[in-house]
Amino acid sequence: MSQKLEKLKSSRYYGFCLLFAMLIFFYGVFKILTPNNFGSPANLYAYLQSSIIYAVGGCGLYFIVVMGLFDFAVGSNIVLSSIVGVILAKKFGYAGFIIGCLGCGTLIGLLIGFLYNKLNVPSMIVTVGLMLIFESVAVFAAGGEKQTLPENLRFFSGAPGNIILAVLAFLLMYFILNYTKIGTYCNAIGSNEFTAKNMGIDVKKYKLIGFMLLHFFVGIMAILSVSYGTTMTALTGMSTMSRNFQPLMGTFFGIAFRKYGQPITAIIVGEFIISLIFNGFIALGAPTTIQNVVTGAALLVIVTLTARGSKGSVVK
Amino acid sequence: MEKKPLLVAENIDKKFDITHAVDNVSLTIYAGEIRGLIGENGSGKSTFSQMLCGIYTIGGGTFKLDGKELHVRNQVEANNEGVAIIVQEMGTLSGLTVAENIFLGHEDPFMNGVVKNTAAMNKEAQRLLNEYGFGRIDAANMIDAYNFEDRKLIEIVKATYMKPKILVVDETTTALSQNGRMELYKIMDQVRDDGRSVIFISHDLGEVLEHTDTVTVLRDGEYIDTVNTKDVTEDDLKRLMVGREIGNAYYRTDYGTPVSKEVVLSIKNVTVPKQIYDISFDLHKGEILGIGGLSECGMHEVGKAIFGASWDREGSVTLADGTEINSIPTAIKHSIAYASKDRDNESIILNESIRNNVVLPSIDDLANRKILSGRKLTRFAKKHADDMQTKMASVHQFISDLSGGNKQKVVLARWMGKGSDILVLDSPTRGIDVKVKQAIYALMQELKEEGKSIIMISEEIPELLGMSDRIFIMKDGKINGEFLRSKQLDENDLIAKMV
Repeated sequence: MSQKLEKLKSSRYYGFCLLFAMLIFFYGVFKILTPNNFGSPANLYAYLQSSIIYAVGGCGLYFIVVMGLFDFAVGSNIVLSSIVGVILAKKFGYAGFIIGCLGCGTLIGLLIGFLYNKLNVPSMIVTVGLMLIFESVAVFAAGGEKQTLPENLRFFSGAPGNIILAVLAFLLMYFILNYTKIGTYCNAIGSNEFTAKNMGIDVKKYKLIGFMLLHFFVGIMAILSVSYGTTMTALTGMSTMSRNFQPLMGTFFGIAFRKYGQPITAIIVGEFIISLIFNGFIALGAPTTIQNVVTGAALLVIVTLTARGSKGSVVK
Repeated sequence: MEKKPLLVAENIDKKFDITHAVDNVSLTIYAGEIRGLIGENGSGKSTFSQMLCGIYTIGGGTFKLDGKELHVRNQVEANNEGVAIIVQEMGTLSGLTVAENIFLGHEDPFMNGVVKNTAAMNKEAQRLLNEYGFGRIDAANMIDAYNFEDRKLIEIVKATYMKPKILVVDETTTALSQNGRMELYKIMDQVRDDGRSVIFISHDLGEVLEHTDTVTVLRDGEYIDTVNTKDVTEDDLKRLMVGREIGNAYYRTDYGTPVSKEVVLSIKNVTVPKQIYDISFDLHKGEILGIGGLSECGMHEVGKAIFGASWDREGSVTLADGTEINSIPTAIKHSIAYASKDRDNESIILNESIRNNVVLPSIDDLANRKILSGRKLTRFAKKHADDMQTKMASVHQFISDLSGGNKQKVVLARWMGKGSDILVLDSPTRGIDVKVKQAIYALMQELKEEGKSIIMISEEIPELLGMSDRIFIMKDGKINGEFLRSKQLDENDLIAKMV
């Protein structure tokens, strides 16, 4: 009986059930607390539209975080790629916008991966250094002005454009994880880099690919972000740092539910849960500071419940 | 019929800093044989086989397989040349499916450009698992859903499905239950019957004699001899390994020596949920108390519970003066030592020097007003490591460079340095050669004579019979039998209480 229970607990259906139980729980709590301002179908659709932007970034971060690396330059790349995309959009229309965001994003990923491999220092240090540089480059590129996406190029600002693009990104992530070597090798490197090397895996190459994929997804996120907000302002002084964390929360969900074979679903649903909580507090009229406290606490509770090691185990 | 040479090793050599791990070894392995490769810890057998498999680079010399020189840089290249290895440690990777693990590095048959045919890969992996008789394992499932032994079986499939010309089995059987071992032996026989060869590395000489055709002995990195298995006995192999007779002083020879009535440690109603239930006993001064049973009987958890390392322990562990042992710092402070079965993960800090491993629990004693003297630490570590006759370049050498037996000597040196009065030794001779075993048994006897008390947890029945004043046999987390030291006591008495 206990064996069957253990088997059930490790199945992908259990992961699904756990995720949706959390979703229903948080929805239920806020719906009871503020039945009129929260959780109507129209509200949910709006929450979904904002959360999928972060989920796209969360998918990209998964490739890096699963290998035990980290990237603080995500936020600065969103800003820089958005600005490059908008500048090119003004000259070349949608082609300039899409190619500008994706191309700039991916090139930055290539640069980060290259420097990480060459400098041989922790990814956190490399990306903090580069974040400062990218922020300054963004200010130069924008000429110190707020960049506004032309009105005729806002297909991705709302449904169905944003949903189509996000779904394409999720399908791409699913494809890479399940139908290419990249997904397998990123997981293998994260599990045991030494063994992965012994299996003939070119670890440096796949780390470089990981950074490029992350920032390709960041490029998609830039398209969605600047379309959603319609403008992008370049700022220096680590002000882009805060943009790193919301996608990362989704990645944590993905890593936590990896054991159920459900990382992408977990990233999407995880971001949606965060969005639900955040909007739930707005509906309650709570001040932003409290919202942040509770969102942070909710993340800790959720990841603790789903991913914590057994008591007494070593956690780093 | 003339034997066909399959693998020819010529002047294979490897140095790690000043340690000459493999010293100019030449040997030939013939098609259709199972070759045992034995030697003490540090004799070079694992280094030799890991060079063959591309895990280590070759320091000097050549391997020729079927007449072709091997230049492999990793395991996958070795696989492609027809050499595969099953390692002692965990060789599968978490976060991947069973199928991804089996074909890791060998995905090409399932690739169409950059697209991987996952369904075909899963299907092929499942076919292989079924063929090996492991059909209960689902190829599409995450590997994390399976226990250590199942993962070892998956590794066996991974290493052998491509029908390597040479299969290296490196100390794998210690990780397997009896059933798992039988499966492995069957596969080894099959490799031999197909005209291919197996290099079988094991410290269990009985197993080597039973399952090999020939045995090569290495000592201190040098080639000693190759013998026909049917022509030798276990004692012959021991003599070749050690270079002298082991003699009769292997285990204790005293019987009927009374054990002090003075109780030094009382274990009362100790329970660790799902592991051990209601364990109670007293440990006496100068007593060697053996605890045995089948691997999963809970005996290993008893050691942790006594040392305060089980977070959910119930019941009490009390010293003679009434001090309750509820945490590791309290245990160490009150002169209790513990050596875990999982030496590399729980007993030593692999990426640290021998010195820092030895001084770890004694730092406070060695500090002068909280200030540490490097010279004093080095002197302390050297004294105790030398007392244990640890084979090392210096105490500044990283412990990860040492063989299993020498790592265990460092663990013991640490507790000798601390001057512990109660030692909990879990599988103290696991994966250790006869010479070091003999030294550890001698040390235990010496400690006993000094009035120190030892709890020895062991899966080896001869060791329990040979060293203990009293033996508890555990089954399903409970004590199922108690025996006093006696010449008449034999393996069958203990086994009857284990199963």
